[in-house]
Amino acid sequence: MARGEVQLRGITKSFGAVDVIKGVDLNIAPGELVVFVGPSGCGKSTLLRLISGLEMPTGGSLHIGGRDVTLTHPAKRGIAMVFQSYALYPHMSVAENMGFGLKIAGVPKAEIQAKVAAAAEILQLTHLLDRKPRALSGGQRQRVAIGRCIVRQPEVFLFDEPLSNLDAALRGQMRVEIARLHAKLDATMVYVTHDQVEAMTLASKIVVLNAGKIEQIGAPIELYRNPANLFVAGFIGSPSMNFMKGKVVATDEAHVAVRLAAGTLRLPRRNAATAPGSSVTVGIRPEHFSIGEPDSDDIAFFEGEVELVERLGGETLAHLRVPALAEEGLTIVKLTGDAPLRIGSRLRIGVRLSHAHLFDADGRAVGTPSAKIAVAA
Amino acid sequence: MSATDFSATPATPATPRRDVAWMGRFNASLRYGVLLLVGLIMLYPLLWMVAASFKPNHEIFGSIGLWPQEPTLDGVISGWRTGTEYSFATYLFNTFAFIIPKVVLTVISSVLVAYGFARFNMPGKRIWFAAMIGTILLPKSVLLIPQYLMFRELGWLDTYLPLYVPCAFATEGFFVFMIVQFLRGFPPDMEEAAVIDGCNSLQVLWHVVVPVIMPAVISVALFQFMWSMNDFLYPLIYLSSVEKYPVALALKMAIDVTEATAWNQVLAMSTIALVPSLVVFFLAQRYFVDGITSGSVKG
Amino acid sequence: MYENKTTGYLYIAPFLLGLATFTLFPFLSSFLLSFSDYQLQDPVAQANFTGLTNYREMAADATFHNSLWVTFLYVFVTVPLKLAFALFIAFVLNFKLRGIGFFRTAYYVPSILGGSVAIAVLWRYVFAGDGLINQVSIWLGGEPLNWLGEPGYALFTIVLLRLWQFGSAMVVFLAGLQNIPTDLYEAATIDGASKWRIFFTITLPLLTPVIFFNFIMQIVQAFQEFNGPYIITGGGPLKSTYLLPLMIYEEAFKYFNVGYASALSWALFVIIAIFTVIAFTSAKYWVFYGSERGDKK
Ligand SMILES: Nc1ncnc2c1ncn2[C@@H]1O[C@H](COP(=O)(O)OP(=O)(O)OP(=O)(O)O)[C@@H](O)[C@H]1O
Ligand SMILES: [Mg+2]
Repeated sequence: MARGEVQLRGITKSFGAVDVIKGVDLNIAPGELVVFVGPSGCGKSTLLRLISGLEMPTGGSLHIGGRDVTLTHPAKRGIAMVFQSYALYPHMSVAENMGFGLKIAGVPKAEIQAKVAAAAEILQLTHLLDRKPRALSGGQRQRVAIGRCIVRQPEVFLFDEPLSNLDAALRGQMRVEIARLHAKLDATMVYVTHDQVEAMTLASKIVVLNAGKIEQIGAPIELYRNPANLFVAGFIGSPSMNFMKGKVVATDEAHVAVRLAAGTLRLPRRNAATAPGSSVTVGIRPEHFSIGEPDSDDIAFFEGEVELVERLGGETLAHLRVPALAEEGLTIVKLTGDAPLRIGSRLRIGVRLSHAHLFDADGRAVGTPSAKIAVAA
Repeated sequence: MSATDFSATPATPATPRRDVAWMGRFNASLRYGVLLLVGLIMLYPLLWMVAASFKPNHEIFGSIGLWPQEPTLDGVISGWRTGTEYSFATYLFNTFAFIIPKVVLTVISSVLVAYGFARFNMPGKRIWFAAMIGTILLPKSVLLIPQYLMFRELGWLDTYLPLYVPCAFATEGFFVFMIVQFLRGFPPDMEEAAVIDGCNSLQVLWHVVVPVIMPAVISVALFQFMWSMNDFLYPLIYLSSVEKYPVALALKMAIDVTEATAWNQVLAMSTIALVPSLVVFFLAQRYFVDGITSGSVKG
Repeated sequence: MYENKTTGYLYIAPFLLGLATFTLFPFLSSFLLSFSDYQLQDPVAQANFTGLTNYREMAADATFHNSLWVTFLYVFVTVPLKLAFALFIAFVLNFKLRGIGFFRTAYYVPSILGGSVAIAVLWRYVFAGDGLINQVSIWLGGEPLNWLGEPGYALFTIVLLRLWQFGSAMVVFLAGLQNIPTDLYEAATIDGASKWRIFFTITLPLLTPVIFFNFIMQIVQAFQEFNGPYIITGGGPLKSTYLLPLMIYEEAFKYFNVGYASALSWALFVIIAIFTVIAFTSAKYWVFYGSERGDKK
């Protein structure tokens, strides 16, 4: 196995009687940037801390760079971690903060200085090396925290919501910087976040966690296009996918017809192992509706009434009541910024059938779209 | 609350605002009045004592004024000589001879124990923590006699050992509690970062925790210093030879000898006895306030 | 934290050792001694078991009854007065006044020095026949009083010494007051609550944890007052200031009745224990622990 490879085998973790991580298997290839996402309290931080060694697993094993490090001290695992609170040592200067790990390891002073200087160079911190953390801005502190990691030249970088204490503009800037850093250092990174944009833009692979279990692993676009289950479908994408309950009325080789509240959708699906009569859920992302398009095979039209309009500038979110699709509840539709909408007005909206998702009664995705999705909405 | 409630308290326009300002000023003067009066009553006895040290004997009783009419250093000089076979210098030296080890041992043991309580989850921790709180509430008199017998068996009577050796074992639960409360106010992230940086728990303590909790550590040292300066009962039962007396005992003895006549000398000695505490207090008063409040207000 | 489960024990080991040798062992020994006729000058081995003799003697000892009464009087006059006064001054100080720091320091000084022998000596001078207090009272047109010679007044001088040290409790109250978020007051004012209502419905409930802390600490300290009576009054006149800790000390180290002194000290322990247990069990009815933790600075 190669440097920077991380393998989790059946990792479990309980705090007392509470099982927080319920069996996680995961392979991270060298140089990947893996992002953990999931709702609050699902165990993202715990899983990251298990990799770091700050928590010991209750069961399972962990390998980093081919070594079994399940019981290894955090400092000897070849990892480095950036904390949400930065966790800089307040009484040490930036240079001392960055060199502290090397100092503890007994590295000669001159060598520490050289490594700190090199890392500071990468992060444009050179002019701040003598400052104390309290004299730094949030973004600078963040960079020092990253610098502290770089100096250690770890196999794996661990980030726990590193940008959540920054304001929106700075967050965007730091996000780009982390991406740049990842490209430059070519190191493995594991990154926990709440932020969808961070997850989608940074990740080479996203791990969706829920209640201590992995729901799906995949490239960002893969999770977006082919969510394996309802949870992932609802979690990835913003605003969330619309879900509509229905029953299968007919199937053929390439199609599944689903009866919703008052309308029927004939979805192009292959290998859909569902029999007529079974309960299913249809999922349609807000961006996969359209208005004013010509009829085609791929589009089914329905009547809706506008209940609420949120104008975001570049785009508009319309909350529609569509009796054909759902008996109650609103369907959210993403339209262009200048879409002419009035509350109470009626609207003919089209559903892109090839972009619709289908889930069985257990919430698992059913079949694969028969038509290759050519254009994203 | 409803809209009607809101209209019942109308926003006050220009005219009543003058009233408010007037009330505010009145209120402030009242407060200052109370504070000054109380402060005067509180501090007058102290000032009077200092002033009396510089008065001749006949001036001390009979006037309430501060300023000596016939200022003299007689009281201070004979006070320093104490009227016993040793001067104040000896007694001050004796005091520091056990207070310094006492403060050092208290700080070290309290920090170690507080770190153990605040940052480790060992089985039975709650019981021991409760026991520690219990020792804070336990009256010292119930331990006094057996401790005395124990130290007598050890041959430690008339030495300073009984005064400071127990402090090496975090026997002052209040200080441990103070530091634990202080530590609870800090998330452990920084310490975890240090673990990842390769520290063992002792290195974490030394390189990260101690610098961060320095204010609390200083508070502990200062309180222990003050309390030990004031401590009278323990030196009283453990020390018997005058040459080993600390200030507290020496003062009591000197007073028993000279009180009937040399009042200015007695008051001068008392004043001198308070100087170390006062100096330390004014140099570091911020830490007293921080220290005493960290044990009670946070959490 | 990384480390195995028992590392914590290494750190609290000093405490555990100290607990065993300097607290638990003496604690139990004094319990045993309280059933003996042990005299201080004898080797410990010579103690005889005398059953409940010491406790029977205590029940019949007028001096003990007096000390008990005086101690209670002292504690239950001192503690409420001191807390009330400390709270009052804290309120006066908790206002955007210039010079708060100065007053806080000035009021705190007596707490730092108050326990010392020097201050006890000063107290004797201040309350002497022609001492400061009487001078002032003559100056104001009053009568001089025999503060230290009259049983009724002597205890009062010792109580005053304690009250004079209200600063430490005040500082704690002040910090507690400053910890109450101002938006609560603002919300209540907008709701139309009067000043007194705000005090009783917001300030006081939120201050109860601090009041509780101060109450416990003051009770425990007051029951152990020794320096004042020993130096200022020597327990007199007519044992009117003969507080229990002083009596225990004299029984043990002046009259050498260690057995009896131990029984007395256990009586004191039981009394304090009863009060702390009452305080802690009652706490859940009147101490308000909000779920919001105070923000860190
Ligand atoms: N030391 C601990 N003791 C007990 N329970 C814990 C501990 N640490 C975490 N938990 C619990 O484990 C669960 C997962 O926590 P974790 O911090 O991993 O969540 P998270 O996914 O990072 O959430 P967030 O997005 O809010 O940071 C939570 O329910 C939490 O309460
Ligand atoms: Mg987290």
